[in-house]
Formats: sequence, C-alpha cells, structure tokens
Amino acid sequence: MPPQIQQVLDAMTATPPLEGYLVVGAFMFAIGAWGALIRRNAVVIFMCVELMINAVNLTLVAFADYLPNAGGLGASYAVLVIAIAAGEIAVGLAIVLAVFRSRRTVNVDEVTSMRG
Amino acid sequence: MIIAFFFLAGMTLVSALGVVVSRNVVHSALFMSGSFLGIAGYFVMLNAPALAAFQVLIYVGAVTVLMLFGIMFTQNPQARRYRTIINRQFWAGLFVAAGVGAFLAYVLYSEDWGGVEAGNGPRQVADLGRDLLGVSQGAEVFTLLFEVVSVLLLVAIVGAIVISRRKSGAGADREAEQ
Repeated sequence: MPPQIQQVLDAMTATPPLEGYLVVGAFMFAIGAWGALIRRNAVVIFMCVELMINAVNLTLVAFADYLPNAGGLGASYAVLVIAIAAGEIAVGLAIVLAVFRSRRTVNVDEVTSMRG
Repeated sequence: MIIAFFFLAGMTLVSALGVVVSRNVVHSALFMSGSFLGIAGYFVMLNAPALAAFQVLIYVGAVTVLMLFGIMFTQNPQARRYRTIINRQFWAGLFVAAGVGAFLAYVLYSEDWGGVEAGNGPRQVADLGRDLLGVSQGAEVFTLLFEVVSVLLLVAIVGAIVISRRKSGAGADREAEQ
C-alpha cells in the first residue's frame, strides 16, 4: 500500500480533537440562540431552546470524556440537564396551551397583556 | 472516527439551521429530532452509550412527540411566508448569534486544555449509575442533585397539569358556549 493512501487512512481513522466537539457545540448554541431571537412562534422558540440545551450537553459530555481529572462526571450532569429540560418543556407547552386557549394565538409578539 | 465526526457535525448543524429557517412548523419539529439524533451519535463517540440511549428515548422520542402535540393543538401546519414567521430582528439576531457563536468558538478553540485524550468517560453503564447516585469517589454532591431533580420533575408534572387544565368558563369553553 502506498504511503500516501496509508496517510489518508490514518487521518480518517484518527480520533477527533476535543476542540472539534466544542466548536460544533458553540455553533449549535449560536443557531439555537438565533432561532429563539427571530422566530415568532412560541413552539419553535421552545425547539430552539432545546437546541441550545443539547449544545451545552454535548460540551459537557465532551469535557467528561477528554479531561482526565473530570472523572466522567459531565455525563452525570448531562443526565440532570436532560431531566430539567424535560420538565421545562412540559411546563412550557402547558403555558403555551393555556395562552392559546385564552388568546387564540401563540405568536409571542402578539401576547402583550403584561407589557408595562 | 473523523468521518463519523464530520458526518454528525453536518447532520447536527444543518438540521439545527433547518429548525430555524423552515417555514413549516412540523418540518421544524422533524429537523429538531434529526439534530438530536446527531447529538446522540456524538454521545456514542464520546464513550457515553447510556446517555445516547437517554437522548434517543427522551429527545428523539418524547420531546419530539410533545412538540408535535403542541403544534397539533395550537396551529394548523402549513407553510407560511417568512414575513409572518420571523420578526423584525432577523439581521440583528443573526448578527448577535454569529457574534456569540464566533466568540464561543474562538475561546473554546484557543484555550489550552492541557493534556486531553479521549476515553476518560464512564463507558460502563454501572459507572454512570454510581456517579449519578453519588456513590463513587468525588461524586458525592450527586446524591443531593438527584433528589432535587426528582422533586423538580414531580413539581413540573403537577404544574403542567394545573396550568393546562381546562377551567370552566374560561377561554375556549366560553367561546364554545356562546
């Protein structure tokens, strides 16, 4: 096997660096933040919040796997984050349903009854 | 591994962009589940297979279904024009989000993390369980956190029921009576 092909194969089977996971998590967080800022629909805003939570989870688990002194505890924190996010989604969708029932809309810029 | 990494990165980020720019709300929910699947693949690569199973069960399964129910109850799914689904902060939001993403990526990339190597995660499910219950060394705080999260989930369940319960004479009921 020629050495060039061997080099390419080695590069393809190498372990990705920690920074790769962190950068993917950062961009996913940014995309979620963008969606939460620009969308009108409350359900889509919840989806974007979930994207941000997942980006943070990815960062936690990447640190847990790569940092030798972390003891793998980031994965346990990720479990707690998943539980809290599930509770947040349940309560948030209940609030969206309650708002829709009384105002017939879920667009967040039309629900202005608490504006000062 | 590098191939899997870039494949999952593309899947995750393209699906995340799809959530934001899709004009159909149902498509947004399905893009969201695709993004969660990509994150589950990353968890497998990061030696956390139990967490990947949680991710698939809770996010790809439960949260996506919950979102679809929310869509079903609150709107008729149809493609809308961008002017009706996006508020006036499109470019300002893009500017802020790109700034946040670039800043985070720069800081996380240029930081010196010391001697890092893959393979420190709790590959065994039993290790993850010991960490989560606070049995293993250095994880004692998780005993408290686990209990607090269980109470929080109970409060969330009760709160969701109370908030979304139909009260007589309110909202849609009143409209239906009229």
